[in-house]
Amino acid sequence: MADTVKAENRKGFLVDTSRCIGCRSCQVACKQWNKLEADKTANQGSFENPRDLTPALFNRIRFVEGSNETGEMSWRFLNERCMHCGDAGCMKVCPSPGALYRTKDGIVAYNKERCISCKYCVAACPFNIPRYDGEDKVSKCNLCLDRVGGGMAPACAKACPTETLKFGKRNDLIARAKSAKKTLYGENSLSGLGVVYALEGPPEQYGLPASPSIPFSIFLWKDVIKPLGILGFWGSIGAVLLHYVTIGPKKVDDDLDAKEEGHE
Amino acid sequence: MSKYIERFRTSERVLHWIVTGSFFTLLISGLGLYSRLFNGYFAMFGGGQNAILIHKLVGLLFFFSSLYMFLNHKKDVSSFDDADWQWIKKYGGYLTRYGLHFDIGKYNPGQKLFAVFIAAATVVLGVTGLFIWSPVSFPRWIVQLSLLLHSLMFVGSIVFVIVHVYLATIGNPGTIEAMLYGDVRKIWAKKHHPKWYKEVAGE
Repeated sequence: MADTVKAENRKGFLVDTSRCIGCRSCQVACKQWNKLEADKTANQGSFENPRDLTPALFNRIRFVEGSNETGEMSWRFLNERCMHCGDAGCMKVCPSPGALYRTKDGIVAYNKERCISCKYCVAACPFNIPRYDGEDKVSKCNLCLDRVGGGMAPACAKACPTETLKFGKRNDLIARAKSAKKTLYGENSLSGLGVVYALEGPPEQYGLPASPSIPFSIFLWKDVIKPLGILGFWGSIGAVLLHYVTIGPKKVDDDLDAKEEGHE
Repeated sequence: MSKYIERFRTSERVLHWIVTGSFFTLLISGLGLYSRLFNGYFAMFGGGQNAILIHKLVGLLFFFSSLYMFLNHKKDVSSFDDADWQWIKKYGGYLTRYGLHFDIGKYNPGQKLFAVFIAAATVVLGVTGLFIWSPVSFPRWIVQLSLLLHSLMFVGSIVFVIVHVYLATIGNPGTIEAMLYGDVRKIWAKKHHPKWYKEVAGE
């Protein structure tokens, strides 16, 4: 992890999609606890609602509707939210110290007062999660850090009636899922996601990237161009100064004459 | 007879300093966005949000003034003649103490390259800046690419500008006058830009 949180201190979710019934209690509980306004939505021919995360919707159930080999209707449900990545793209690019920060539990939290509305986090997130609210400030799942800080489970996990969303010590949740022979998603990607999934099929079927990573252009920007730029700045200042004291300025002839004659 | 000859008209000098002023305002207001190392520069603008606003507005000024400056000089900077190639082969004489002379017109190849680079950088910085202006209005891949190109062009510009400032000041005594009050000494012109001097003075 890019920061200083020890793996054994990290808290997170284990999302067992096989248990999810798509009831969306997590969506509602999140709205209630975080005092988020309702979003106006429209029927678009799917039970999925709303169709995307919004500044007032920190987590939602993604409905993957299809049919299986025998032509029967199949539904898969995925709880979509900030993954609280161990190596978080948003934190990597955020230029304002303290706007996005990591708690001692490993949560990627944010402070809207420190947010300067640059929206770099929107471009850098491997999962396209951060949204901007009406005041042009970052908005996303903060993993109910107030509840977690007080030793409680986040609102979504508390409300989940089927234990699809299990919250706790990340290492324990992963160990238990492994002993139950679950195939895990996000255990090691991006230094370990704070939200680990037990999926029933390949991640692509759920709309998740098979191997999530910080976008390559963001890596080039922050890890290549930025240090090269600082090197280029001081390097070129050093080079011109070195030129001045070794080869020296190009004087025009009467400068030399003036030196020899001692007057002008 | 005057010892001086006019190199830049008043309007050209004013335009140059508008471009200069906007460039350095963009540099200072953008540093805090470039890296958290430079977060302190935001305080000069009353916080990051104000710095971004100023960066956007001054960016417009820089984009149009820099582009206009290039278009004014396009004819002078977009072709190389034989003397220019000689200059390039000898690195303009900047790597030796022995005074080298080339039959250079109004601008030498280094100046031409600088002008063309800054014009290209202006276009790239301006277009990518438009996408970064409102990232949520454009597809993420465009914004990601824009952030990369914007930083790359900034780095290239700052290196070119450092060299430009050096060569126009202490590196070539007598040069800065051209951009301050417009006139350079004839002897300066005969040495650095003999072909231009012949065209203008007819000597």
